[in-house]
Amino acid sequence: MIYLDHAATSPLLPEVKHAMKKAMDEIFGNASSLHTPGHSANQAIEDARLKIAKLINANPEEIIFTSGGSESNNTVIRTFANKDIVVSAIEHPSILKPTKKYAKNCIVLPVNQQGEVIFDDDISADLFSIMLANNELGTIEPIQDLSKKVHNKKSYIHTDATQAIGKIPVDVKKLDVDYLTFNAHKIGGPTGIGVLYVKNGAPFEPLMLGGHQEKGRRAGSYDTISVIGFGVAAELASKPQKDLRNLRDLLAKRISEKIPHSSINTPLENSIPSILNVSFEAAEGESIQLYLDLEGIAVSTGSACASGDGKPSHVLMAAHHDAEVAHSSIRFSLSNENTKEDIDKVMEVLPKIIERLQKISTIKIKGDKK
Amino acid sequence: MTSDKSCDTKSSWVYSDIVKEHFLNPKNFLMGDEKKYPHDAEGIVGNPVCGDQMLMMLQIDKKTQTIKDIKWKTYGCASAIASTSALSELAKGKKIDDALKITADEIAEYLGGLPKNKFHCSVLGHEALEKAIQSYKDMLK
Repeated sequence: MIYLDHAATSPLLPEVKHAMKKAMDEIFGNASSLHTPGHSANQAIEDARLKIAKLINANPEEIIFTSGGSESNNTVIRTFANKDIVVSAIEHPSILKPTKKYAKNCIVLPVNQQGEVIFDDDISADLFSIMLANNELGTIEPIQDLSKKVHNKKSYIHTDATQAIGKIPVDVKKLDVDYLTFNAHKIGGPTGIGVLYVKNGAPFEPLMLGGHQEKGRRAGSYDTISVIGFGVAAELASKPQKDLRNLRDLLAKRISEKIPHSSINTPLENSIPSILNVSFEAAEGESIQLYLDLEGIAVSTGSACASGDGKPSHVLMAAHHDAEVAHSSIRFSLSNENTKEDIDKVMEVLPKIIERLQKISTIKIKGDKK
Repeated sequence: MTSDKSCDTKSSWVYSDIVKEHFLNPKNFLMGDEKKYPHDAEGIVGNPVCGDQMLMMLQIDKKTQTIKDIKWKTYGCASAIASTSALSELAKGKKIDDALKITADEIAEYLGGLPKNKFHCSVLGHEALEKAIQSYKDMLK
């Protein structure tokens, strides 16, 4: 199996798995208990918190453990319930949905074809929530610049760094953000655990009430084993990473050369190095995805046929305003595990799959239309 | 990455084995230009904006009112490809009035079931056939 869907989730890193297995044998106490088993769980959690804080250059007390990126995103938005919130059109649904439901006024900023947010200096709001890197296109947003603008307005800024973490340097002080979200499972840690960075002094309303954990900011007994796994993943992500850009760009180049009527949707110059989003004219994405799956290659698609809600990708729609581009899109997302041989295997089968789908398609290829 | 059992598509593919077979080896589909396939009637339904579109083309024996041959094209997902392939097999050789009686349920059943959110793919195939036969009947009027 060639796994090219790391932006959806990544397999546990061996070091993470090892640490979690060991913790399962050795650590069982409730981290909130004062006795020795409880204390050792607590120490393990605080050790992980340090590693996670270090990864983003934060202070440990600014890190709040949550159940994942979606909870972190929801928590920030709910903190600004009944206030004015600005988001981009390509945010994750865990930003868009709560904002539409709870904000007093919700302003959605458009993006250009590269997926870059078009900021409007005249807009004022209490909170701006713009992702650091987009999950489908890989586009990096200029958060450092936006923070300056937002802070000049005396407003707060949150960035969802779920896709950026481990792929590009993420430093909360440089970015100068008030809130930042990311999780473990995109960097080789377990699913079901994430964090919200909350800058000291920034407003905060807990989403989960009824426990003193996380200084009353997030109630609920700790998932100690997952926190430990997250800590190890964060430590590994702090180390210099293999350059994925060459591999990703090679795939882009070969697709452009070998597959007629394909278009690269990812802005290669301004994106995290792991994501490549491509549309294949007249070929439907779910079919491409499943033909690839039958060849042992796992990717994802922006097609409505593969989505849970029956709608094409809102990200591609926002960038291209063309349902066909979205339905015909495939996202490849790489990790350190992938090799040039994986790219070779993709290019062995993909051109034939696309050719066949284009030939049986009811859609005429543009340029061939008479 | 190496393969393990949970990643084996033979044991855990998302749709039924019959859907998979029709997806991998669709029957009666037309490769390339439909102008090169002489036919007596055609019906097209769906919309690429919605993510699926189907075209059915029929050769009809005028004396017996029987579907002699059938070819189709689609821009659609695995279920759409499999549904249209199944329908083409079900309809081929049938009298047009009998072919009209093929229901979306029958197509889904023939495929060993379709997930709920994919059922409309079999409806779409059925509608394309209906439209093709209707256009043939209108032509005869």
